[in-house]
Amino acid sequence: MELKETIGYRVIREWMETQRRQPFAFQEETWQHILDGESGLVNAPTGCGKTFSVFLGVLIDFINRHPDDYQTRDKNTLQLLWVSPLRALAKDIGRAMEEVIVGLGMRWQVGSRNGDTEMSERQKQKRRMPEVLIITPESLHLLLAQKGYAEVFAPLKVIAVDEWHELLGSKRGVQVELALSRIMGVKKGGCSIIGISATIGNLEQAKEVLIVGRAPKTEGRGRSDGGQADAADSGGTTAGAPTREASATEGFIVRAMLDKPIHVESILPDEIEKYPWAGHLGLKLIHKVIPILEKSRTTLIFINTRGMSETWYQSLLNVSPDLAGVIALHHGSIDMALRNWVEEALHDGKLKAVVCTASLDLGVDFRPVERVIQVGSPKGVARFLQRAGRSGHQPGQVSTIYFLPTHSLELVEAAALKAAMHEGLIESREPMLLCYDVLIQYLGTLAISDGFYPEDIFRELQHTYCYSEMTRDEWREILHFITEGGSALQQYDEFRKVEVMADGLYKINSRRVAMRHRMHIGTIVSDAMLKVRFTSGGYVGMIEEYFISRLEPGDVFTLAGRNLEFVMIKDMTALVRKSTAKKARVPSWNGGRMPLSANLGMMLRRKLDEASEMVAPSPRALAPEGGGAGADRSRAQESPVETDIELRVLRPLFELQAALSYMPRENELLIEQIETKDGWHLFVYPFEGRLVHEAMAALLAYRISRTTPISFSFAMNDYGFELLSDQPIPVDDTNVYELFSPEDLTADIQRSVNSAEMARRKFRDIAVIGGLIFQGFPGEHTKARHLQSSASLLFNVFSEYDPHNLLIRQAYNEVMDQQMEERRLRNMLERIRQGKIVLRWPSKLTPFCFPLKVDSMREDLSSEKLEDRVRRMQAQLR
Amino acid sequence: MQPAFPHRIRGQQLWLSPHRCLFWEEERSLILSDLHFGKTGHFRKAGIAVPQSVYREDLLRLLSLIQYFQPRQLLVVGDLFHSRENKELDLFRRWRDDFPDLAIRLILGNHDILHEGWYEAAGITVSQQVLRMGEFAFIHDITEWAPSPEAPYFFSGHLHPGIRIRGMGKQSLQFPCFYFGGQYAVLPAFGKFTGTVSIDPPPDSNVFAILPPSGGEGFRSGAGERGWPVRGRQHAGSDQQAGPGGVNREEHGTSHGKRGNRGPFGAGSIFQIQ
Repeated sequence: MELKETIGYRVIREWMETQRRQPFAFQEETWQHILDGESGLVNAPTGCGKTFSVFLGVLIDFINRHPDDYQTRDKNTLQLLWVSPLRALAKDIGRAMEEVIVGLGMRWQVGSRNGDTEMSERQKQKRRMPEVLIITPESLHLLLAQKGYAEVFAPLKVIAVDEWHELLGSKRGVQVELALSRIMGVKKGGCSIIGISATIGNLEQAKEVLIVGRAPKTEGRGRSDGGQADAADSGGTTAGAPTREASATEGFIVRAMLDKPIHVESILPDEIEKYPWAGHLGLKLIHKVIPILEKSRTTLIFINTRGMSETWYQSLLNVSPDLAGVIALHHGSIDMALRNWVEEALHDGKLKAVVCTASLDLGVDFRPVERVIQVGSPKGVARFLQRAGRSGHQPGQVSTIYFLPTHSLELVEAAALKAAMHEGLIESREPMLLCYDVLIQYLGTLAISDGFYPEDIFRELQHTYCYSEMTRDEWREILHFITEGGSALQQYDEFRKVEVMADGLYKINSRRVAMRHRMHIGTIVSDAMLKVRFTSGGYVGMIEEYFISRLEPGDVFTLAGRNLEFVMIKDMTALVRKSTAKKARVPSWNGGRMPLSANLGMMLRRKLDEASEMVAPSPRALAPEGGGAGADRSRAQESPVETDIELRVLRPLFELQAALSYMPRENELLIEQIETKDGWHLFVYPFEGRLVHEAMAALLAYRISRTTPISFSFAMNDYGFELLSDQPIPVDDTNVYELFSPEDLTADIQRSVNSAEMARRKFRDIAVIGGLIFQGFPGEHTKARHLQSSASLLFNVFSEYDPHNLLIRQAYNEVMDQQMEERRLRNMLERIRQGKIVLRWPSKLTPFCFPLKVDSMREDLSSEKLEDRVRRMQAQLR
Repeated sequence: MQPAFPHRIRGQQLWLSPHRCLFWEEERSLILSDLHFGKTGHFRKAGIAVPQSVYREDLLRLLSLIQYFQPRQLLVVGDLFHSRENKELDLFRRWRDDFPDLAIRLILGNHDILHEGWYEAAGITVSQQVLRMGEFAFIHDITEWAPSPEAPYFFSGHLHPGIRIRGMGKQSLQFPCFYFGGQYAVLPAFGKFTGTVSIDPPPDSNVFAILPPSGGEGFRSGAGERGWPVRGRQHAGSDQQAGPGGVNREEHGTSHGKRGNRGPFGAGSIFQIQ
């Protein structure tokens, strides 16, 4: 059907004209795909009409099907399922949709469903499903936990997955995959799946993950279609079914192509010599922030951690008290109602500035925002672009983002970001594979509603991206785990979870197990958090138990921008009262610290190369005899580039680094060895991000220890890592290339001593998602206590008594794929092999190593016989 | 069986076993704490698939301790059982019936919530709070004890003590431990499905860490002692995969269990910390 010839299109065009709006080309393109019943991906940034690109298409389709009575028809059942990662988005999107519906005089309803949805509202939805349902991945799974869910999805025409780039690469994305596989499995008739994504490096793959094997009207739709599906299972297209075959290349990608110019400006310290090398929050530059706030309508200040954002908020008020009342704080631990208020106020342009964390990365566009300030490294190009895109929403406006470094060297990142944006180097989001924990949870979910037949589900799983490579053996193991609880003592076992009924249906019959399962649906695992309330009542927010446990009554801390005096802990709630104390402790949240992306790391090395060029007095004189580096250097000289302002400002720092140690070129790896009163330090600077450095440190320590018994602790940041030992570290020109060799990498990583500890950390989330950790029912203290155990204890027990358990294996696989980022590690070692390693023995700490030295996150590892080590440690204690 | 470590308190001879209990020679009594029997069953009943072999090996370990020390009684300072009655406790009953001459005296812990009749039927003599025997007294939670001048020496549990040792270069390790203060001792938890709580002992006390055979529980650095469980599907089923790890491994036990480097009861050695 040609879009522009349809009545629906005419109706929508006319309505848009009354709004003085014109459809964008990418919207019309998407509408056409919706009319054609196709699945695919819309690549559009926030605030460019991406919602309408799908929603209006669904309306056009509906009007075309009911040209005479589209306005009067009601109770049309579910037409559009809108999956969105953030509950906060639901409100705004719903509002926008309702405006259209009212404008067209239609009788559609828009509902939303998430953790905040009232029970009464859910009941109402059960009786009458709205035409549009806006839902989070978790609530979508809760829908699958309801009896008769297949009927809800039967009339569905379009499933839109908003902000797919955010979901992809996380276990929530896997949840979406699973839900889609089930919906398409039980559904009769076609349904389009449309992802909406910002620009990422792997758009094609993003589309594939979402729609592969699930595009409409293909074979293998499971038994629910009737008996013939089995025949089609071998792969061909069933006769009679439309001949649209699912394949990796299927599905459309519509690109909005609405590039907005982005202007990046660094906030530079006046005297770089006095700017801190590490351990600061950028507050020294706060006086340069005030004028920026003053000259723009609304400014968003992005801070990397919640703790830092609290400090920044307080400091802004201290420096400029008249900001009181017009600045706000927004982060994930602040009470939802307060956050909603902040978002509303932002929307209405009532706020001059908001100090925020990644909590405002997603979601509604706040039109009044004119400027964005990024404090500290954004860690990746995509994130930086997204934040920059938060400003200047009006057409024709330039998005302006200021970069405020928290330590000197971070300024190089600004230069690197600019270059990366210029070259369009956007990071990819790697989809997750074989997440057994999410699968186990999902099977439980299906088992509490209508139950499931393993063959149906296995077939659906083979069509998902995440589980397409799961073997029959692994599948059997999972079924065994949820029905028998793994290996047990036969007659003395009372394991009870999923039961196999006489007809082969897998079902959870225990109401308690079902109830507990419902409470645990989801894949976002937070640290043990306590609610914070005033003694007089009134909720403030959430805080980590770890932080509170170290406070004494009377101590003052800040949360949600308020100074609070800790009174006591009662019923998992920290009671506080307001405090007027000047000094307060800032809580630490162990939120995930993002590592530097590979793209940004590469750019960083390139920029440092330019810096090295800049400070080298006479490159040829320093060049090693006939080495590859010399040749590179002359090439660099032939094509002089205009040096970034950031690099020019940092010149004194680079000169100091060069004088104390060395400024590495792009193809060089610098290693510094320094002795201090703490012991012997070895600093290495690959600029590959914290996670890769963590793995590299473990690997290096292991390789060193093969020749010498030695113990290390280590620290890492995004630029490099440090090994620290109480004895000299034997690394010099004779063995250094061997130590950094990519040979035997996989085997050495697997033997590197830290794997168990890394897996233990990964296991925490896995155990919660997989249903091994029980958090207890409200008001059921004693009984619940007997079911409590820590993930760490479970990890010990499983490792020792059931080491091949799927979930333990998954923990190690996650370490390998995400933590170690094996591929990236390998690339790094290849790069080092082709380059040159430069060893230096500086007499004191250098600008490069200083940030590492103060980084507190440390890991232990040892290759010594334990008793020897304990004895030696003892000797030192005395 | 690993050799026990001698220690004297008030003229009495004690033997500390790396299997997390101690033997009182004069009274031929095995003193244990926090066994938490039935805990895996309790979890499994609720649909949490904890491997039940933990419990089986706890029972087997206790059996071999009884064979080794030949005690005339077990003195359990609380939390012999984890929660309510379940089938795992039936297994305990069968196990118990194999030792009709062995007395079991239980000082009730906060987890021991079974009916009086159950203990009686199982041949367990129960003491409500404190049991006194000569120079010694036994209590579950030492914090519930009101000090008096002519007090006996107390043995307690409840805490699941662990000792963290720090060294240069910010190194640290944690092990289950025995704690001996001037007035009382705290025993390590016997059950393997229990965690440890780090203690901060005063300088005049004695602390004995229980070191695992080669790394293992309590290691911050989990020194690769069990190697890397086979990855993905490549070598599923190979049980002997345990890599050499970074550890210069040396077996302490003589018997090698079927799981390669870990003996059936995987004990290590006692190491006096202070």
